[in-house]
Amino acid sequence: MTYTASYLAVAVFFLLGLALPVVALTAGRFLRPDKPSAEKSISYESGVDPTGDSWVQFNVRYYLFALLFVVFDVETVFLYPWAVVYDALRADMGLFVLGEMLFFVFFLVIGLAYAWKKKVLEWT
Amino acid sequence: MPATSYLALGAILFCIGLYGVLTKRNAVLVLFSIELMLNAANINLVAFSKFGLYANQMGQVFTLFTITIAAAEAAVGIAILFALYRNRNTTHADEFDTMKG
Amino acid sequence: MKTLIDFDWTVMAPELTIAGMAALLSVIDLFLHPNKDRRFFMWPTLIAIGTAIGFVATQWGKPAYQILADTYRVDDFAFVFKMILLIGTALVAVISYGAFRREKGFAEGEYYYLLLVALLGGMVMTSSGDLITLFVGLELLSIATYILVGMRKRAITSNEAAWKNVVLGGVASAFILYGMSFLYGLTGSTNLFTMKERLGEALTSGYDLYAWLALFLIVFGFGFKVAVAPFHMWVPDVYQGAPTPITAFLAVISKTAAFALMLRVFLTGFLPLFQGGGGTLVDEETGGRLLLTMAGLSMILGTVIALRQQDAKRLLAYSSIAQAGVILVPMATWGPFLFPSTVYYLVGYLFTTLGAFTVLMLIEGDAGDSKLSSFAGLSRRAPLTAGAMALFLLSLAGIPVTVGFFGKFYILMNAIVTGSPEHWAMYLIAGIMLMTTVASYFYYFGIIRMMYFRPPQRREGLRVPVGAMMVIGIAFIATLGLGLMPQWILGILGNLDWGAALSPVK
Repeated sequence: MTYTASYLAVAVFFLLGLALPVVALTAGRFLRPDKPSAEKSISYESGVDPTGDSWVQFNVRYYLFALLFVVFDVETVFLYPWAVVYDALRADMGLFVLGEMLFFVFFLVIGLAYAWKKKVLEWT
Repeated sequence: MPATSYLALGAILFCIGLYGVLTKRNAVLVLFSIELMLNAANINLVAFSKFGLYANQMGQVFTLFTITIAAAEAAVGIAILFALYRNRNTTHADEFDTMKG
Repeated sequence: MKTLIDFDWTVMAPELTIAGMAALLSVIDLFLHPNKDRRFFMWPTLIAIGTAIGFVATQWGKPAYQILADTYRVDDFAFVFKMILLIGTALVAVISYGAFRREKGFAEGEYYYLLLVALLGGMVMTSSGDLITLFVGLELLSIATYILVGMRKRAITSNEAAWKNVVLGGVASAFILYGMSFLYGLTGSTNLFTMKERLGEALTSGYDLYAWLALFLIVFGFGFKVAVAPFHMWVPDVYQGAPTPITAFLAVISKTAAFALMLRVFLTGFLPLFQGGGGTLVDEETGGRLLLTMAGLSMILGTVIALRQQDAKRLLAYSSIAQAGVILVPMATWGPFLFPSTVYYLVGYLFTTLGAFTVLMLIEGDAGDSKLSSFAGLSRRAPLTAGAMALFLLSLAGIPVTVGFFGKFYILMNAIVTGSPEHWAMYLIAGIMLMTTVASYFYYFGIIRMMYFRPPQRREGLRVPVGAMMVIGIAFIATLGLGLMPQWILGILGNLDWGAALSPVK
């Protein structure tokens, strides 16, 4: 019973979330002065006049950088837990723990060297 | 089992992912959908590591590995899509139909 | 306190050799001049595989050993499968030598070390005793093969094959992982043996549907990986688009590793489901029936669709689906010769399939396509190659005096022994096996007819490189030798301790 009751809070939040933008926008509509002009209806782009279509093709290099970032970023997932338990593990099996991680990082460095040598890290 | 709601979330994500793989025309969205499916499994694993019949940390450890694997798979998928895009100039998955028989 | 250093690390020597060589080759590849020919990478690859074979041979027959917190186990089961994988990859490396000369922008350096990485993944799969190790090994093999399939960057077919492989392979991995997550939830462990004990309890305490859900999801994923019907739709396209040596790799090494994985998971972790232990909706024979259905469907679909193929590569792809169905039969029927009959068939399949794909590769290089008509008159252009190809096809078809015949016979016997009036499905599967074998004669003999009774399109002889010639020779000797003297390898297989694979090391 209490389990389903906890969904009541979710429902309340859901309704509030719906109500907030509706109320705010409706109130704004009644309170603001309404004098549209061509200048005002241009979509806002940090003060610069928008040009062209909003669907532009990005340079393929963004993808390469993103890929490289994702792969190396995700590897830190292994470094963090290792760092947290490092002291406890070292008491158990000594420097072998460090060696294990160095082994892992060594393979990552090969990967990085690969990216470097293949000129993925340069923007030319 | 209080894990039910998490399992339901996982199942919904998995089904959305499967639906996406089967129906989406855009190849990038297909890759997204595969990620959804893998992450559905991750949600399950983490939920089970707290609420499973024998709750322990192992599920979270498993999740760390699958996150890495999913990243590697996405990277390879995108790279292959690049090669394909260079040759075909489209990312519509249903146009990849040179081979028939 | 036992620390990690106290363990006997030499048991991992084969894997470490392969991993080390892959790392070394990738560094060499980076610092070598980009325009330099990288064909010689085949030699270090072969040396690494040879060394690993040596290590496996010296460890052969030693008692089972577990390392890395029981996640990695080295037992007779692992030795046999590793040997198959290593020999298969070595042969693939040999036929790859110089096979991509005309390919522009082909990363030959990457090709060889990715081959090693894929092999490493396969080896990890065969000897893991834990779901995490198992999944990592599976993905290592899969991701490496995704890239290998798309190696011919400029060829659209290769790109498309890689895309299909990555998408369907990813979906299959997601299914396997999703199934594994339920398995973990029920047992709280990723160790296959702990899982076996606890899954029995879960079955009797009302969680049986979750257990079956896990089994179905995992069977779905494994079905993709071993390429059996109804999960076979990716096979023909991927096999056709991939570079031919990689097609051979997919057909032999990937498939063998996936079968090893399947055997391990079903015979340890999932054993309670197959032995029965209560349950409401589904009884203990459901798992077996599921596998039987898949085996039967693969044999029928693979054979029937192969009948109307005009492309030899697609034909061999469909034939490999039918063969996968045959290999699945022992696992579906169980029986006394489950392990030896499966492994014997896999060994035979390794040599015949590799031989057939090597000849196909030569034809493809010569004619520019892999159409059946390109085989026309091969007997006059290259009589020895044509003769070897005929033998491989006869073996795939299961004609006596070849390894394929005895393998099929063994599996058939195993199926019939397990049959009884209550287990009539075993007779049915044996019947399907016989029928599809006879039907397969049509398309295998179609190629033979093409080679011997059609005039050649070109006069000059077929150029056969030394490497390919050696592989064809080895495959020829093995196909004939193992067919004539099956007792030799069966003796080896019979002396192995298969039970060790099924029980934890104390």
